[in-house]
Amino acid sequence: MSEQTRIEKIKYGLLKTIDVSGFKVFDPVVRLIFGEEPQKQVKDITRFMLMPIVFVCCCLVAWNFIAPRHKTKSGEVPTPAQVWNALTINDTLYDRENEKESDFALSDDQREAKIEEVKTLIETKESESTKLKEELATIEASAKQKKAEALAPLQAEYSELKTTHKEARAKRKIEAESLAEAVTKKKATTEELLTFLRDSSRLKEDEKEKEQIIKDQIAEINNEKPKSLQAAQMASDSAATEVQHLKKRLDYLSSGNRSLKVAKAKDSASSALTELESAKSPAEILAAANTVVKNEERASKIAKQEYPRASTIWFQMWRSLFTVFIGFVLAAVVAIPIGIMCGLNRVAMACLTPIISIFKPVSPVVWLLIFQIVVGAFFPNPETHPFFVFLNSLPIIGRLNANPALIFSACTVAMCALWPALVNTALGVSSVEKDHMNVAKVLRLGLWSRLTKIIIPSSLPLMFAGLRISLGVGWMVLIAAEALSSSEGLGKFVWDEYQNGSSLTFSNILLACFVIGIIGFILDRIMIVLQRAVSFDDGAATV
Amino acid sequence: MTTPAMEIDAVDIGFGPPGQRTEVLSDINLKVEKNEFVAIIGFSGSGKSTLMNLLAGIQPASSGEVRMNGTPVREPGPELGILFQNYSLLPWLSVYGNIDLAVKQVFPAKTAAERKDYIQRYIDMVSLSGSEWKKPSELSGGMRQRLSLARTLSMQPEVLLLDEPLSALDALTRANLQDEIIRIWEEDRRTVIMITNDVDEAVLMADRIIALTPGPKATLGKSFPVTLDRPRDRTTLNFNPEFIALRNEVTKYMIGINEEAKKLRVSADLPLPGLMPIDFNSHDRKPRVAQTSDLIAPGSQQVPEVEERELVGAADE
Repeated sequence: MSEQTRIEKIKYGLLKTIDVSGFKVFDPVVRLIFGEEPQKQVKDITRFMLMPIVFVCCCLVAWNFIAPRHKTKSGEVPTPAQVWNALTINDTLYDRENEKESDFALSDDQREAKIEEVKTLIETKESESTKLKEELATIEASAKQKKAEALAPLQAEYSELKTTHKEARAKRKIEAESLAEAVTKKKATTEELLTFLRDSSRLKEDEKEKEQIIKDQIAEINNEKPKSLQAAQMASDSAATEVQHLKKRLDYLSSGNRSLKVAKAKDSASSALTELESAKSPAEILAAANTVVKNEERASKIAKQEYPRASTIWFQMWRSLFTVFIGFVLAAVVAIPIGIMCGLNRVAMACLTPIISIFKPVSPVVWLLIFQIVVGAFFPNPETHPFFVFLNSLPIIGRLNANPALIFSACTVAMCALWPALVNTALGVSSVEKDHMNVAKVLRLGLWSRLTKIIIPSSLPLMFAGLRISLGVGWMVLIAAEALSSSEGLGKFVWDEYQNGSSLTFSNILLACFVIGIIGFILDRIMIVLQRAVSFDDGAATV
Repeated sequence: MTTPAMEIDAVDIGFGPPGQRTEVLSDINLKVEKNEFVAIIGFSGSGKSTLMNLLAGIQPASSGEVRMNGTPVREPGPELGILFQNYSLLPWLSVYGNIDLAVKQVFPAKTAAERKDYIQRYIDMVSLSGSEWKKPSELSGGMRQRLSLARTLSMQPEVLLLDEPLSALDALTRANLQDEIIRIWEEDRRTVIMITNDVDEAVLMADRIIALTPGPKATLGKSFPVTLDRPRDRTTLNFNPEFIALRNEVTKYMIGINEEAKKLRVSADLPLPGLMPIDFNSHDRKPRVAQTSDLIAPGSQQVPEVEERELVGAADE
């Protein structure tokens, strides 16, 4: 019996968790696992889980079908597989940055060991790469041959067509001339000559068209790249970049290594020191002493140096999240007190209404520009500004390289995310139930206790509903702000891709689209959970 | 002569701007002695809740004054413990938390341990032991009203104001809670003013029953002293001739004043549209065209909407 109740407890705990996190879809799965009305659960699973999955699969298939058929200036629209490929490529880029970073910081025995490891890797990879290159060459040759074979008849046809057309044109010219002569001798009318010329011009158009058709066919074959060739090229390219990456690692392990650089600086410092001892003239002494001090300084500077990471999609993602977090917190800190004030006092509400109404619809782009000017004035010298020095000295956040652009983006996010939170808070506070206020009156609660004991708890659900909207708005605004202010982040990632125009551009943009969407979804879920947690009405305000 | 525990002196209450003013209560006079249990009985819509809010100090009087022990009541406070009809519990606090909020505010001098014992006593008093950490949404209607009662009592009010405390409950829970309130009151006597629309309830619980005439311009009517011995047992009371007589008397009086009110308002009755019976045999039933007689007669506009009048107990007749 106790076993039974224990299982029930686990079951309802799970169901509650699912409910609170907003993943109601998995409800029947849990119930099925615990064997509750299996038929009903299976039916629910088919209707609310399998059907959506099938639908999404249909969408993917449709995408896969339509994408290659739409040719754009920047190539075909990428298929799902290509986007997935872009994801793996971006992921390896991230991993490689990590490897280089750790290589840069290695020292002594570990470094030696790593060098050996990388060297053997380079050997194997290089042989692989040459093999792939050879394969590519053969495939390329065969493809070329095939292409030539396919082109030969067309080209023959084209030149034949051209010669016949040339002849026809010459013939028509002669005929026209003779016709003109006939006109002078009154053997033919001018009308006849005109009709002839009109006809011949029409014939010329037709001929041109025929030539164009064949020309197009030839161009198509020329542009065609067989799948096998494409794959071989990709494999060879990736092997080559892998080798390149390994060589770069070797560089970071040897001459580019931090510990070596430090040692070098220290060496020159000590050699300068011996020079100092043997120096005779005051000028020599001074010069040597200067060298010592400079090299010492350099050594200590290098010792603190971090590996200059190239920005990868995951780095951009973390930076975007950090920026949106700052913006969101800023918005909440401003919106909640003002919202409470507006909800409590109708005069305050009346005073702020014009401001809210006018600034709410302003585009984030305008806010960004304004903040760049206004907030930018606070950081004339960002590298040495104490705020950024402090931010960049923090353990994890320091790696995100906070700069003024980040602050501008965060301020823009805050400005746009402010309004939903403010309006909802004001609404929540002003719609506290009259009964609850009567309780406060009977208990003679002071303003502070009235706020903390009655008003704020009672308006929390609406407040959080507003914050949830704010976060969604903020995340959307952030991407645009980053693109415009070129603050490192997903927005800049998209923008850079668009500007770069590599073969991966389109896939990367679509990839960013999914990353942004999924993160937005996760942020929204987090807010739903928080909202449910503070809702006393069991989340009736949610949805 | 001693000062009454609670006194209403010539109070009028009206709402709305001048010209369109609706007088809800007019010329209310009431004196309640210390430790007396007074029931005010009235029809729904006759301004009962306004009267209660007036007593609690939530609703100021347009003219006249409410006095407690001789001092005018100007604002609500813990000495005027009001038990709201819809519980007014704070849904984000537990049973304990709801009472704790009140106790902390009213008795700030109590230490944490004292407070804990004190709150537990009130939770036990209304038989909510074991539900201390439940939220109001997890309680039944009866339990919620018990909690509300415990919260009100924990403030140790001088006067207990019950605003139709049981009207949202089903008959069985209601009877149960009536007994509970009486039991608590008998253990710890204090002045009680209860508003109700249930004649049985009033007769069972009160020392004195006062009728509230139907609004607008509702006022207090006849007063009926209840001389039945306490403790009153509801099972035997039903056969008690005195109880039956009093119940019938009150009911008759209430119905009488309602008839009277209706007669007074006869001009306000809506004129019925002149409808011919539909001839179900003819097939071309045309849709009825609106006629001038459908409109409300001019002059009846000022009359407030006709409220549904109900009187529990009247059905016994």
